[in-house]
Amino acid sequence: MSKRIDWKALGSILSPLKNVQFLARPAITESLEPRVAAPNYRGFHLNAWDECIGCSTCQKVCDNAAITMVKVPELPNDPVKGVRNLRPAIDYGRCCWCALCVDICPTASISLSREYVHTCFEEEIDSYFMLPREQGMHGKDYGKGWAKSEDADMVDLHRQPMEEVAPEDRVDNFEEIVAGFTRQQAILEASRCVQCGMCHDSCPTHMHAPEYIRAIWQDDVEEAVRQMYRSNPFSHVCGRVCTHRCETACSIGRRGEPIAIRWLKRYAMDAVPHERIREIVAEQKPQFISGRSIGIIGAGPAGLTAAFDLARQGHSVTVYEALAEAGGMTRYGIPYYRLPPEALDNDVDVIVSMGVEIRYNTRVGSDITMEELQRQHDAVLLAIGLQMGRSTRIPGSDHARVFRAVDLLRMAGAGEDFETPRQAIVIGGGNVAMDIARTLARLQKQHYHEVKITVLAMEREADFLADPVEIREAREEGIHIIDARGPREVMVENDELTGLKTWRVKAIFDEQGRFAPT
Amino acid sequence: MRPENYEAKRQPPSNEFELNFGPNHPGIEGNYAFRVKVSGDIVLEGKADAGYLHRGFEKLMENRLWIQNIAITPRICVPDPVPMEVIYCLSVEDLCGQEVPARAQWLRVLQMEMSRFAAYLFYFGGLGSTNGMYTPHYWGMADRDLILDLFEELCGGRVYHIYNIPGGVRRDIPDGWLERVSSTFDYLESRLKDYDDLVFRNQVFIRRTRGIGVLNQQEALELGVTGPNLRACGLPFDVRRDDPYLVYDQLDFDLPTEDAGDNLARALVRRADLFEILRIIRQVIKALPDIDGPIRAPIPNPLAWNVPAGETYQRVESSKGELAWYVVSDGGDKPYRAHVRGPSQTHAVQVLEHLAKGARLEDIAQIMFSLDACPPEVDR
Amino acid sequence: MSKELARWMDDLLQEIDTLKFERKNERRVRVDVDSKSVHSLLELLRGRASFVHLSAISCVDWIDEGQFELVYHIWSYEMNTLVSVHTRISRDSCSYISVYDIFPNCAFYERDIHEMYGMYFEGSPCMDKFILTEWDGPPPMRKDFDSEAWVNEHFDWQDYHPDWLQELETQGGGIAIHPEEQRFSRRNKE
Repeated sequence: MSKRIDWKALGSILSPLKNVQFLARPAITESLEPRVAAPNYRGFHLNAWDECIGCSTCQKVCDNAAITMVKVPELPNDPVKGVRNLRPAIDYGRCCWCALCVDICPTASISLSREYVHTCFEEEIDSYFMLPREQGMHGKDYGKGWAKSEDADMVDLHRQPMEEVAPEDRVDNFEEIVAGFTRQQAILEASRCVQCGMCHDSCPTHMHAPEYIRAIWQDDVEEAVRQMYRSNPFSHVCGRVCTHRCETACSIGRRGEPIAIRWLKRYAMDAVPHERIREIVAEQKPQFISGRSIGIIGAGPAGLTAAFDLARQGHSVTVYEALAEAGGMTRYGIPYYRLPPEALDNDVDVIVSMGVEIRYNTRVGSDITMEELQRQHDAVLLAIGLQMGRSTRIPGSDHARVFRAVDLLRMAGAGEDFETPRQAIVIGGGNVAMDIARTLARLQKQHYHEVKITVLAMEREADFLADPVEIREAREEGIHIIDARGPREVMVENDELTGLKTWRVKAIFDEQGRFAPT
Repeated sequence: MRPENYEAKRQPPSNEFELNFGPNHPGIEGNYAFRVKVSGDIVLEGKADAGYLHRGFEKLMENRLWIQNIAITPRICVPDPVPMEVIYCLSVEDLCGQEVPARAQWLRVLQMEMSRFAAYLFYFGGLGSTNGMYTPHYWGMADRDLILDLFEELCGGRVYHIYNIPGGVRRDIPDGWLERVSSTFDYLESRLKDYDDLVFRNQVFIRRTRGIGVLNQQEALELGVTGPNLRACGLPFDVRRDDPYLVYDQLDFDLPTEDAGDNLARALVRRADLFEILRIIRQVIKALPDIDGPIRAPIPNPLAWNVPAGETYQRVESSKGELAWYVVSDGGDKPYRAHVRGPSQTHAVQVLEHLAKGARLEDIAQIMFSLDACPPEVDR
Repeated sequence: MSKELARWMDDLLQEIDTLKFERKNERRVRVDVDSKSVHSLLELLRGRASFVHLSAISCVDWIDEGQFELVYHIWSYEMNTLVSVHTRISRDSCSYISVYDIFPNCAFYERDIHEMYGMYFEGSPCMDKFILTEWDGPPPMRKDFDSEAWVNEHFDWQDYHPDWLQELETQGGGIAIHPEEQRFSRRNKE
């Protein structure tokens, strides 16, 4: 047929007869019956309640403010696990079916149905406001339409890589292993955050992590520091050795790698000069002085955090520390390759700059009596911590060369000589066990140029208590880890340690959940 | 204007009457009004009256994240939504300096042409109705529905596709989709003969539209006419060819023109355009399977997406003419300014007012439809 | 031919001292010019360099600098080049001179800018209201007009209370976070 029309041509007088052909053609009919839409159709919302964690990211990305978060009391609400009992409810008077909520959902619990036309009875519907579940609206299940797919996912599941010192370069010294983020890396890592606040809820001190992550993304590290000091004066320390429950709860971690919140904190603290941190924290200095005085016994993390908070409220605070330096377990219980002492010194310095007085080498009971303290202060806080190590109490564990990890770590930290053993067994599979094993490995490497450490963990490898990172790094450093073994007896011959008899562990807890290994 | 605010004014005796054409009138395209002053059935003056569909999109966009705006863009022009989505994405990509994967570019071209075809079918239906020919409307809607079915399969939405996002498209094509596109457009091509018989070779249509609403070349250029309406005046200009975007410079197509500049010429240009669209679609269908690679460039977290400060003016050819967006970013997570320049801002206002002068009352609707005026573009 | 013309134009525009010239790519040119010279420049480009098509006039409210920016996008069908002529007008004076005698199709854009930004164009054929016929508030596209606040002031949020919500409330649940509390776009403003 021609592309041009000759409008002058009148055509044949018989042309209208062409219409007859339409009698033979089928009519085009659009059925009004409910039909199943295309497999990618963006219909009504479906939400798998057991996958949804109530992070409300869908609410944030919603174009038209159509999503309300509703509390459903019957559902679990566990901040430590990063689960809230909130579920999105959709106002279909506002929804525009763009499916951004599906593409950004960190857990992939939301999808849209293939329901093309929704019909229901009057008693079923009294508003456009719906609380979607997995089955579809009013129990009409047409199956999933637009759902999370790899190419449509808008959540970045991968962390920025972190530079580390190679195992062979780190095992003979106590230099810090982790390099820390560069500015570029930190901004990219912070940009992955969806600001759900699960980290804030799961954090024991409720640090304002969403706020400081946002500030880091905006390249405003000073604001990030300001946000950190709202609730935690040990940001240098926590930026390195915190157990980061925030990362366990992080909603991005549901399907991918959680935001490296701890390293971001460390980045911000390292990026701001120490003097500037002091100035930022000084903004929190109280406007008036309360006139009350408080004595705190113990300059560990608990005592100093209390001192910082009380000083911010205008009280005059004196901390009594038995040892020569502040920090408590953070100084004497954490190996330097994880927490360099300078970082701790900086944190302590900021706390002191808020007007806190620390009296070192002052042991309560010998250097000063409790009565004196009570007389001098309006209130006294005991923050002496848990300095005593745990013993296995198996036969032979009273031998002089059987140590408790806490004591050994303190000696290593203080530089005391305890005759580094050529061979050592570490009982336990937690983070402290890894600390002491790796500390001993370094000392062995320095003294004897070889590592001979065996770690006995009672748990099976899948349920190790220590951080997976710690386990991996310990193995990289040549430490041998045996799982599902419990200590039975320390073997001693002629007053010399010769070995350890062990049990094979079947279960660690009894039926009531008490610690009773068998 | 709301009825309660309308006050009848006592006018001196005269043979001039004022007539409110729209906003609710079958002869007006969408929610739009045209107030005409008539003497007998000759229109002395016409005034366009917009605002019945103003949703304040430009302002809304300033308050929404870059990603959220993809849901707003297709709503600016309902019959032809894809160019709006694509041009917004082109603007953001230009500001970000983002490279769009080839597969996404070809997919965008395919969508744009499918959308153009659907919009033209809509157009023939509307233009037919203004002449009292209702069958083209039924046919056009039914055939357009086939294209909407394809869109539904591609992106889950029939009218508001929200398929393009800055960086590419949202997901890859479903299995066997290209074959279905191919067979649907084969069918649509076979239908064009029927449209010819029904409309374009129909003497009723030809005599009704010829010589009405004549725009000469100089007037067209002065009034800023673009797209098919400009080509109907004999000026072969098209953004796809003159200011190519996406992969249009790798495609082979002609620009059909007509010389008369009247309603008939505007319809015939669009009719001839259908063949060019078919040519382009077939080229894309042939090329697309060989273009592998991602459908989207990596994009940042939509909730933490700052676009570098700058400004950009992007143009694409929509089914109605030159569509352009001026987007300004101040480096924030939302546009600082997004200005939509729809082709109908010229066609539905100044050109329509110009052509209405001296026209007969019964031709007004036809002139408006032949210009393919799209009120939502004027109102935004 | 068109390449040579483009070079000629580039050279010429670079010669003018009061004008900032920037070629962004093959078909885009940005020119920053004082508000006094816009008309003569547009007339020159239209009359001597075939820039006959006024694509659009855009207005940007730079409220922090107290200025409106007007951008005239003009296109040449011969050179296939788009020149964007930028100029700044004080927000206080808020009036300018129409380009109706150069580009007759400016009428819509000027009327639109007048309506949305309150900028008056002398010599434009019609400065009547067009889209916002019954609006008597401030020009809405200005940055100091907060449309969301206006909506919240003038309209109530629909308070839905369906059965399922009432049931949840009896169990101690119910609405926890309203959408307007957590709109991401809103929160960033603070």
